[in-house]
Amino acid sequence: MDYLVAVLLPQLLHGLVFGAALGLLALGLTVIFGLLGVMNFAHGELYMLGAYAGIAVIGLTHSFWAALVVAPLAVGAIGALTEVTTLRPLYRREPLYGLILTFGLALVFREGARQIWGGDMRRILPPFTGSTPLLGMTYPNYRLFLLAAASVLLLAIWLFFTRTRAGIVVRAAVQDAEMLDGLGVNVPRVFTLTFAGSAALAALAGLLLAPIFTVYPQMGVEMILLAFIVVILGGMGSMGGSVVAAFVIGLAQSLLTLWMNPQRVAIAIFAIMIVVLIVRPRGFFGREGVLE
Amino acid sequence: MARDGVVLEIDSVSKSFGALAALSNVSLAVQAGQIFSVIGPNGAGKSTLFNVVSGLHVPTRGRIRFRGRDIGGLEPEQINRLGVAKTFQITNIFGEISVFENVRVAAQSRVRESGRLASLWRLPDVEGAASELLQAFGLAARRDEPAENLSHGEQRYLEICLALATEPTLLLLDEPTAGMTPGETREATALIRRIATARGLTVLLIEHDMSVVMGISDRIAVLHFGEKIAEGAPEQIRNDPNVIEAYLGPPDA
Amino acid sequence: MSRALTWRAVLVWAALAALPALPFMSKFYLLLAFDALLFGAIAMSLDLLMGYTGLVSFGHAAFFGLGAYATAVLLERGIVSLWVCLLFAVLVVGLYALVVSYFSTARRGIYFALLTLIFAEVVYTFFRYTQTFGGSDGIQGLPAPSLAPGFAIDTPLRNYYLVLVYLGLAYLVCRILVTAHFGRVLVAIRENEDRARFLGYNVQRYKMAVCMISALITGLGGALYPGRSAFATPDLMLWTVSGELIIMVMIGGLGTLVGPVIGGAFFVLLQEKVSSYVDWYFIVIGLVLIFIVLFMPRGLLGIRGLLGGRRWRATA
Repeated sequence: MDYLVAVLLPQLLHGLVFGAALGLLALGLTVIFGLLGVMNFAHGELYMLGAYAGIAVIGLTHSFWAALVVAPLAVGAIGALTEVTTLRPLYRREPLYGLILTFGLALVFREGARQIWGGDMRRILPPFTGSTPLLGMTYPNYRLFLLAAASVLLLAIWLFFTRTRAGIVVRAAVQDAEMLDGLGVNVPRVFTLTFAGSAALAALAGLLLAPIFTVYPQMGVEMILLAFIVVILGGMGSMGGSVVAAFVIGLAQSLLTLWMNPQRVAIAIFAIMIVVLIVRPRGFFGREGVLE
Repeated sequence: MARDGVVLEIDSVSKSFGALAALSNVSLAVQAGQIFSVIGPNGAGKSTLFNVVSGLHVPTRGRIRFRGRDIGGLEPEQINRLGVAKTFQITNIFGEISVFENVRVAAQSRVRESGRLASLWRLPDVEGAASELLQAFGLAARRDEPAENLSHGEQRYLEICLALATEPTLLLLDEPTAGMTPGETREATALIRRIATARGLTVLLIEHDMSVVMGISDRIAVLHFGEKIAEGAPEQIRNDPNVIEAYLGPPDA
Repeated sequence: MSRALTWRAVLVWAALAALPALPFMSKFYLLLAFDALLFGAIAMSLDLLMGYTGLVSFGHAAFFGLGAYATAVLLERGIVSLWVCLLFAVLVVGLYALVVSYFSTARRGIYFALLTLIFAEVVYTFFRYTQTFGGSDGIQGLPAPSLAPGFAIDTPLRNYYLVLVYLGLAYLVCRILVTAHFGRVLVAIRENEDRARFLGYNVQRYKMAVCMISALITGLGGALYPGRSAFATPDLMLWTVSGELIIMVMIGGLGTLVGPVIGGAFFVLLQEKVSSYVDWYFIVIGLVLIFIVLFMPRGLLGIRGLLGGRRWRATA
């Protein structure tokens, strides 16, 4: 029982937080792919840039909270700029080009960050320390904050996509991009805003998680690989599926770390993916009739 | 041919997407050599019916028999190999290769080597069959142009060529005259009738244009909200009060 | 055979065979030429996937690396027959490719890109952290393989001719494939996968076939590499290497087969010059990719129409 409380439970909660961050990334990938037809290989780098932008802002203002506002906006702006200059010309072309371009972008962002901030691991200190007794264990306050923040974020996103007109339109367009044409919306602007929005969310996730993990240029790579696995498992057309799969993978990752070293965990997650693909080739929520 | 000359038998087929019932208990039988039209207002389930027959969807309930054989749940390519070819409502051709190459690759799917090891090095000769089809549809003059450069009407013809190149017994035409001018529509209707008769094809047709439907069909079924509300010869359907109500709304509305 | 082989190709190959006779071809340049031709052939095999079928493989380096490790593992144990090494490489890479292609081709093209990347990362992680295979150092200090007892491929000159034969054979195979029924179906799949299915093609089978063929050609190239380098390391399988292979194909021009060979050679030579700026190297790769996609999608050859101005939308 002690083990359960002292070790398992915190890891479980940690898995939920990690799953929420993965969910944000995977959602961003799914929405961008459904809407723009582009698989954003650079998404992990946007996550990483969020953490580094946070470091920059904290360096100037010494305020984590200021960073929490500014960093996502900054990365969102970078996202918007990227979309307008590099992705927009590709929408009419074969999807192959978008893949290669975002792959190139990922390289540039990753190495650019390394050039600017160096390859060493950096730390962002949590804005507050201390722990709280909870369910028989003490849980770090910052992680509690993360849990709360993640829940609020996901709730907000869910509300956006189900209750606001803009969100409903985007969600429907993710399933069927052509429908936007008939609605009289400014399609390029929707695309840019969506891309910027998903970039900002990725950055936010990166910054929020930074005090727990270290910050280094490669930090987006591991996340994006897991996000890809989430997307494959959740089914590309299904936003809800992405979120569910994200929590599954997040929890799996977190719990497996208790018993295996990181490389083995990676291979285990991969094995889980293979097993699911064998049993349900379309993923958890793949849609029938889309010739997925 | 199958027993009783029935080529396609749709037996109490229902198809639901979650809570949405796109098709409810639809049954119909298409005889060999018939041109059978399926009509109905938008959202009636016509395309869903085609998608179920051609293999895109699996029926939730009911059976689909092609020449006596149950095809529900088979993959689209398997169904095509059995002899069912479909055209798409929104033109779905191979845009960047030439018109001739479009039809040629469609015809190639029927050669013996297709799908086998020998296809890695053999080059089958289907040039004749492909040229013949282009000729029949008046596309021979445009054979070397990229397919995407064709006019809308010509692309609709190319759609049909692709389907015919796979040597089907049953042809599913999904609004073949969509977007055509009245003149083109008349030509297309006559052409379809001529080719169907010449090749002994059975045709299942979705159409919105009543002139086409009345002019070409041997038999018509009417769908409304996923259910079949009428079936019969063109004159019967034209005068059926249920059909009129479905299209125009209830009397005095 | 005439549909597969042009006089021009034969002439070029003959010219390449005569290359070592040139006065400046020192050992260094021979090794450079080896790399150029090797990666040229690999890029060409990737073009089968990218240019003809429209599938981007982000994990092609894994096929290369596995081939290298297969040979290295045998050479390390004193099994120096090149034939045995190649056979073993075919088995190992073939098995891996079978699994990868099965899962990667079951759904749309985008999943192919994602899954090839994920598989390659797993393979890299496995070799990087498994001590049996030398961990991050890999397998070093390998003896040269032999064609026959007493005839070892232990000089740059012999390695060069070996890779030249490999390139010639790979080119023949690719040309035959591309001008056969198979090649046309690949193009159809690239242009409109759904339509191809409704025309009766078992699209997954074709995709799996082309993926495996491309993987095997690449794997054989990898199997030849330890003969030249005397080592096999996990770095051969980095995703950045996969990215470099993609650049090679893009530079040369998608769907031209010959273009990527030249693109590969060009890139290897360029890399040799740029490698002194190691720090910026990856940024340069990224920018080159972006630049090519945006401004030169047809590659160097496509735009300049060097080789008879073939359209990139290659058909037989």
